[in-house]
Amino acid sequence: MILSLVFFTFSFIFYILAAVFYISHWFFKKKWLGHTGTTIAWVAFFSTTIILIARAGESGHAPFSNLYESMVLFVWATNIGYLLMEIKYKFKVIGAVVFVLESLAMLSATLLPYRYKSVEPLNPALQNKWHWLVDILKPYGYEKYAIGWLDFHVFTTFIGYAAFAISFGLGLMFLVKDAYERKGSRNRLIDAFPDADTLDELGYRSIAWGFPFLATGIVSGAIWANYAWGSYWSWDPKETWSLITWFIYAAYLHARVTRGWRGRRAAYLSVAGFLAVIFLYWGVSFILPGLHAYA
Amino acid sequence: MSDNLKDGRAKDASIVKSFASKLWAFFNSLKLTLFVLISLATVSILGTVIEQNQPVEKYIEAYGSSWTRVILYMRVNDMYHSLWFLALLTMLSLNIIVCTIERFPPKWKSLLRQRPDNFDPSIIDRFSNARTVNVDGNADAVREKALKAFKARGFKTSLSGASGDYRLYAWKGTIGRFGSDFTHVSLILILLGAIIGNIYGYKDFSGIYVGGTITVPKADFMLRLDKFWIDYYETGQIRQYNSLLTVVEGDKEVMQKHIWVNEPLYYKGIRFYQSSYGVAWDKIEEAEIAFKKKAGKDPEPAILVKWGELARVPGTPYSVKLVGYTADFIYDEKTNTVGSRSGDANNPAANLEIYKADRLIARPWIFFKYPDAFPAIPETGDNFILTAYRGTMYSGISINKDPGTNVVWLGTAIMGVGFFLAFFVYHRRIWVSIRDSGGASVVKLGGTINKNTLVFEKELKDIVERLTKQ
Repeated sequence: MILSLVFFTFSFIFYILAAVFYISHWFFKKKWLGHTGTTIAWVAFFSTTIILIARAGESGHAPFSNLYESMVLFVWATNIGYLLMEIKYKFKVIGAVVFVLESLAMLSATLLPYRYKSVEPLNPALQNKWHWLVDILKPYGYEKYAIGWLDFHVFTTFIGYAAFAISFGLGLMFLVKDAYERKGSRNRLIDAFPDADTLDELGYRSIAWGFPFLATGIVSGAIWANYAWGSYWSWDPKETWSLITWFIYAAYLHARVTRGWRGRRAAYLSVAGFLAVIFLYWGVSFILPGLHAYA
Repeated sequence: MSDNLKDGRAKDASIVKSFASKLWAFFNSLKLTLFVLISLATVSILGTVIEQNQPVEKYIEAYGSSWTRVILYMRVNDMYHSLWFLALLTMLSLNIIVCTIERFPPKWKSLLRQRPDNFDPSIIDRFSNARTVNVDGNADAVREKALKAFKARGFKTSLSGASGDYRLYAWKGTIGRFGSDFTHVSLILILLGAIIGNIYGYKDFSGIYVGGTITVPKADFMLRLDKFWIDYYETGQIRQYNSLLTVVEGDKEVMQKHIWVNEPLYYKGIRFYQSSYGVAWDKIEEAEIAFKKKAGKDPEPAILVKWGELARVPGTPYSVKLVGYTADFIYDEKTNTVGSRSGDANNPAANLEIYKADRLIARPWIFFKYPDAFPAIPETGDNFILTAYRGTMYSGISINKDPGTNVVWLGTAIMGVGFFLAFFVYHRRIWVSIRDSGGASVVKLGGTINKNTLVFEKELKDIVERLTKQ
């Protein structure tokens, strides 16, 4: 537990610092503030990677098996997703929103009760390894490092969640920017945002990653359920909520090509979609009973 | 009159026709898609908040009797199989099918057949991203440069025009346009797979005793449980539940497989899953039985009696056979049968057959908790006492046949292709005009992309750079 905990604490500090620098950059528009923010964001990314690796070493399996571990994965994926976007499109203002979200996510992971954090061996239902991979690794004695549907399912789902988190931030920014553009009023801070069309496009790009990844997560979950639970779909609350989320984002994608729905209404759908993600991720785990009880 | 009739019929026909076309138009609408998707998302929430497939009493307890009536009437207790939920899914399917039929053929024609040669260069000005650049070199040289630039970026090109005045049409990623069609077809396939599974598949459950055999429902083979065991971690937590199963066809053993949670047995289209385990309520492996003489105060040393086997009781004229067991003894006077009140060993009892000189003289039930309730042999008053027993484990096997599964997987594979095409392959079209202008050339270019205008801006910029570079 020690190594992962130490790096968790480091990472938490890095995320807060990154948020502070990105926000200062947004307020004061000093170049060095932005560069420092980006640098710290990268440091936070590597530090989070070490949490995941350390955790895997401590538990003897991929660190995707409880709420705490999945939160770290979520933070990690959101971080790298944002950084790649920054490299490609160079809008550092977005970092202010994303790293506030990241800090909140880290905070909520810290506040989790102990039983959601502890290092546990995998219960019977979670033990799934790909036979073909085990067969490949066996001659070298590495078969215990084989991964399976558990790892694939969780990983793809969380890439999806991360992309939706970023699109949520962009959706909020779009709504604010759009309101200002509409009124024609000006504000020094809002002017620093990319223009509404760009925010809309970036939000779409983000969902264009999240949507297929969530779908892959759902499908791989179905394939796995077909091995472990005896049917590929059983309307378990987690399954149903993932479908609800998927429906909302499907609506978003269709809204964007419909006259009168693009822009503002689509942004509302994108925000609603992420609220559904939060419920899918936390609400279902804590409130609704079901087969996904462990995470 | 016959004219009137004809008129009427024609009118009817036109009403039918206009109704059909209205219906078609109704389903050929993106607004409907949005409506159905948002409705499905909203009502699905209801099914997760109200627990599904619970006994009626639970709903009454939680929501009161009048709400329970509403819940049962609307089938909210099994919402995802209710007619109105299926109706929403049907609407979505019809919506998808009609939209695909409407949109696919014209798209196919316009995208694959069209090679706009000799287009009017003025169309370029209509694009918001249109730009004009002056490039050194005559039109022929610039033309070659442009062809190279487009080739380097993976575009296909079509060149027209003649000396000093060329028109170039470049495109790539046309197939990306069909991503949505792949995705839509895949959704229909997945729904179809679910329907096939519902009609031709079944789900069942069977507890098999260790050593026992069951007849698999709706199949021509049997299943035997050879062994059941639980693996533990060093910490004592359960690692895995295991069963060793043998498929028996006729009197031949066809295959044996070690199954566990996550590793089912698949045979002839049916899957068998490790789903639970427990101790049988109506069978035990063996029991320890002690003889107690009527007059004697203490029982004799106990002997081990195996299920169904005759055992001599030393020092007595009797032999005993263990023929029955019940975990929670209950006697039904009406049918004169013994049963179990529950699955728990609250009042375990064993049924013995007692033989004296090969003659069955008594068939008493003896009680683990109440050894002296009745003498086992009423005539003599001699008694047998059940001092210990070892329960029989059973393994709970879920049985599932779903011939629609492969259709569902085919659907998801196509969906993957569809997503890739829809989200990551962009259809880009660029129109270019190259004209000689006194030693240099004037290049006009502009175009469209179906998605991701940000990327397109960069792409155009890059192409212009390649053109203007010396």
